Amino acid sequence: MRQLLAVAAGLAVLAASACTAPAPPRPAGVAPTPTGPATLPAPTGDHPVGTTVLYLKDTSRPDPWNLDADARELKVTLWYPTGRRDGQRAPYMTPKESELLLKGSRITGVPYDTLSKTRTNAVKDADPAGRRLPLVVLSPGFTKPVSTLTSLAEDLASRGYVVAGIDHPYESYVTTLSDGRVAECIACDSDGDPGFGTGVVQGRAADVSFVLDRLPAEWEGSGRIDRSRIAMAGQSIGGAGALAALVKDSRVRAGIDMDGTTYARIPEGGFTRPFMFIGSPQHVPGGRDISWDRDWKLLTGWKRWIVLTGGEHQSFTDGPLLAGALGVTPAYGVLEAARAAELTRTYVAAFLDRHLKSRRQPLLEGPSPSHPEVRFCPAACGRS
Amino acid sequence: MTPFRTAAAGLALLLAAACTAPTPPRSQASAAAGTACARPSGAPGAETPTTIDVIEQAYFCILDRYYSGAVLDARALLTAGFLALTQELNRNGRDVPEAIMPALTGDRKADWTAFETAYRKVTDRVPDLRDKLAVVTLEAVVAALDDNHARWAHDVGRPPDSYDGDGYGLGLQTNVVGAEAEGDPGVTVAPLFITAVQGGAAQAAGLRPGDIIESINGSAPFIGGRAGPAIASLSPQYPEASPVRLRLLRQSTGHRWSVALKPGLFARDPAALRVVQSKLLEDDIAYVRLRGFASDSAKRVLTAITRLRTGRTLSGLVLDLRGNGGGSPTEAVRLLSAFVHGEVTAYQCTVDDACETIRTDDTVALLGLPLVVLTDRGCASACEHFSSAVKDLRAGRIVGTRTSGTISGPASSYLLSNNTLLGFPSKRHLGPDREVIDRIGVPPDHHVPLTAGDAAAGRDPALARALTLLHE
Repeated sequence: MRQLLAVAAGLAVLAASACTAPAPPRPAGVAPTPTGPATLPAPTGDHPVGTTVLYLKDTSRPDPWNLDADARELKVTLWYPTGRRDGQRAPYMTPKESELLLKGSRITGVPYDTLSKTRTNAVKDADPAGRRLPLVVLSPGFTKPVSTLTSLAEDLASRGYVVAGIDHPYESYVTTLSDGRVAECIACDSDGDPGFGTGVVQGRAADVSFVLDRLPAEWEGSGRIDRSRIAMAGQSIGGAGALAALVKDSRVRAGIDMDGTTYARIPEGGFTRPFMFIGSPQHVPGGRDISWDRDWKLLTGWKRWIVLTGGEHQSFTDGPLLAGALGVTPAYGVLEAARAAELTRTYVAAFLDRHLKSRRQPLLEGPSPSHPEVRFCPAACGRS
Repeated sequence: MTPFRTAAAGLALLLAAACTAPTPPRSQASAAAGTACARPSGAPGAETPTTIDVIEQAYFCILDRYYSGAVLDARALLTAGFLALTQELNRNGRDVPEAIMPALTGDRKADWTAFETAYRKVTDRVPDLRDKLAVVTLEAVVAALDDNHARWAHDVGRPPDSYDGDGYGLGLQTNVVGAEAEGDPGVTVAPLFITAVQGGAAQAAGLRPGDIIESINGSAPFIGGRAGPAIASLSPQYPEASPVRLRLLRQSTGHRWSVALKPGLFARDPAALRVVQSKLLEDDIAYVRLRGFASDSAKRVLTAITRLRTGRTLSGLVLDLRGNGGGSPTEAVRLLSAFVHGEVTAYQCTVDDACETIRTDDTVALLGLPLVVLTDRGCASACEHFSSAVKDLRAGRIVGTRTSGTISGPASSYLLSNNTLLGFPSKRHLGPDREVIDRIGVPPDHHVPLTAGDAAAGRDPALARALTLLHE
C-alpha cells in the first residue's frame, strides 16, 4: 500500500480549499419579491461623511494575477469626516460593477444594475475635516469589491476615522481601474490551489504597505491623518490580510479579522500588537478551521476572540442589508441585517477606540446584557 | 482517477469528488446485498475507533463493489487480515493461544462468521489492544487487494500548526520520486541524489541539489545495485518526526559529511505551488507546467497557451507533467482533446471485460501546435491516462523517464460506519490500444534521465531535449 502514497499526495493537496468560501446570500426557499433598492443604515457618529476614490500604481512589482500587467494597480476608496452635510451622495457601485458582482455570485431574478441603486450616506468628493485623525485600512472578502464594507466604513468615518478601503484587482469579480478598465477575477481560476490563501494575503500585505507609502502624496487630505495611529480590519480573506499586514508592516498598530481563515505566519516568539477575531459560530475554538486556534497561542498582546450567535460569514459585510433588494430570503435563525450591521459597527469601533484613541471600552471586557449575541472565546464559548 | 490519502504535507485533506468516478452499479453477484457501503455525502463526521463491525462493512463493501469483488477468493482477504492480527499480537509481546486461523470454506458469509468468531476470541483476551488490532487487520485486508488505487484513509491527522501550502518532511526531493519514494524503489538506479531543496531541515543544513546521499540512518540506499527500503525514510509522513541521519557527498568538492534532519513543517512559495504555471521559452515555445489534474486544469492550461500565443506565432508547446500525481480523468481527456479529435483515449473495463470507451471531447478546440510532454516516475494515474493517449494516438512526443504505473482504475470512495473512507476502483484502466498501463507505465519516446551533475548545475536535460525536438 505504501507505494501509493506519494502518488496520491499531490492530488490530495489539490483538493484543499484554500480560503473560506465567501458564500453569497442564497434563497432559503421561494425567492420573495425584491424590495427595491437598499438604503444603508445611517452612520452613528457625530460627523457627516465624505468619500473619494484614488487610483494607485505600484511599478515596483508585477501584478500577482495578471501576467500581462507589469505593475500592480490599486483602487482605494476613502471615507472621512467632513463638514458638509449636503451634497450628492456617492454611488454604491457602478451598474457594471453591480452586474459583474451579481453574475459572479450567481444571483438572478433582479436587474443586474440593482446594487448600483443602493443609497449611501457619504457625500461624494466632499472636503475632509478634522485633524490628527486615526486611519483604518479595510480589505474585503475574496471575490468582493470593498464597497461591500460601506456600512462599516461610513460608520467609522462618522466617528472620526479616515477609512482607506482597498480594492485588490483580479481578486474580486469586478474592480474598476483608472480610466474605466474593468479587472475581473483572475485569481478565481486558482483558488483551489495549495498555498492559494497564503499567496493572497502576502499580496494584500504588500498592497497595504504601498497604500500607506503613497497616501501622503496621493491625497490632499492626508495631512489630517495621524500616521502613528493606523489599524486594519477586513472580512474573510481581507481579515486574513489584516493579520498579514500587521505581521509585515509595523506601521499597522492593531488589527481585526472578521470571520476569515488566516494564512500569515506569526513569528514563533509571539506577536504583541492588539488583535481581535470576530466571527460566526463556524469560528469557535476547536472548530473545523484550525487557523484561529493556531494563531491565538502566538498572539501575546491584547487580544479578543468574539463569536456572534446567529452570525454568518456575510454578517460583517453589507450582504444582509442588500438581501431584500436582491430578492434573497435570509436563512432561518440568522442575525437580522440591521442587528448584524449594528453589532459589527459597535465592536469594530470599540476595538479601534480602545487601541487608536485610548478610550476604555467596557464592551470589550466581557458579556454585555444589551448584546446577548456576543460570546467571548475561548473561555465562554464552546463548540456549537 | 486517484486514490485518496493525506497530503505529503500532513494536511488532512480528502480528495475532491471530481477525482472519483460515478457510483458503479451494484454487482449482481453480491454476496452481501444490503450491507454494502455508501458513497459519502459531504464531509465525514469525526472518526470513531475501528471495530470488527467496520471491518465487516469494508469486507462486504469490497466484495460488492471492488473491480474483481465478484470473482476474487475472499479467503485471501481474511487470511491476510488474520496474519496481520497475529503479527501485531507478537509485536506487542501478547500472543494468545486462541489466535488460530479458522477453517474457511469459500462461502463468503459463512467464512466471515468464522473469522469474526475467531477475531472476537482473540481481541477479548487483549481488550487494551482492540483498537490497534482492528486497524492493522483492516489495513491488511485492503492491502491484500494489491491495487494501487485501493486505500483505507483513517487516523487522518494534520499538524495543528500548519499553514496553507506548508510541506511536511525533511524539505528535500531526490531522484527517487512518486511511488518509488514511498517504499517501492522499483527501477531507480544509483546514485541517490538531491534534486531540490524545498526548505525545512534540508535547507537549514545547507544541502544542495546534486548532493549524493551515501547512507540513510546508517543503511546503504542501494543493496546489490537495487534500491533498498532505507530510501523510504526520506519521505516521513506526519506525525513521524524521528531525525533521519544522512551521509552526503558533494561531488564538486569531494567533501563528505553527515547531518541529522528532523522532519517537520516547512513553508513553500505559493507561486511555485500553483497547479498551472506557464512561460515563454526561446521566444516561440510555450512552456506549461501542470502539477495535477484538478478541476478546470484543462481550461487553465489552454488559457495560458492562448495568452502566450497572443501577438506571436508559436512553434510548439512543452507540457511539463513531471510530478503530476493525477486527479480528474475528465480533465485529462479534455486537455488531450486540444491535440486530437475523434479518438479513444482509454477503456475502463469490468472484471468480465465489459468495457466503457472513453473518447476525446471534440468540443475542445484543437490547438494545432507540436507537442512535447515531459514525464517522470512521478507522473501517475490521470497523468498516465493522458501520456499513454498522447503516445498511442501520436498526439506528441514524450521526453523524460517512464511514468509511475499507478493507474489500476478510477477509484470511488465509500463511507464506513466509523467515518473513515475506503476507496478502490470498480473498473480497470486500459490504454487506447487496450494495453495495460498499470504497474508498467508509459515509456518516453526519448529517455532523458536527470544526473547528479545536472542537478548540481541546475540543468534540465529533458527540457533541453524537448526544445531541440520542437526546433528540428
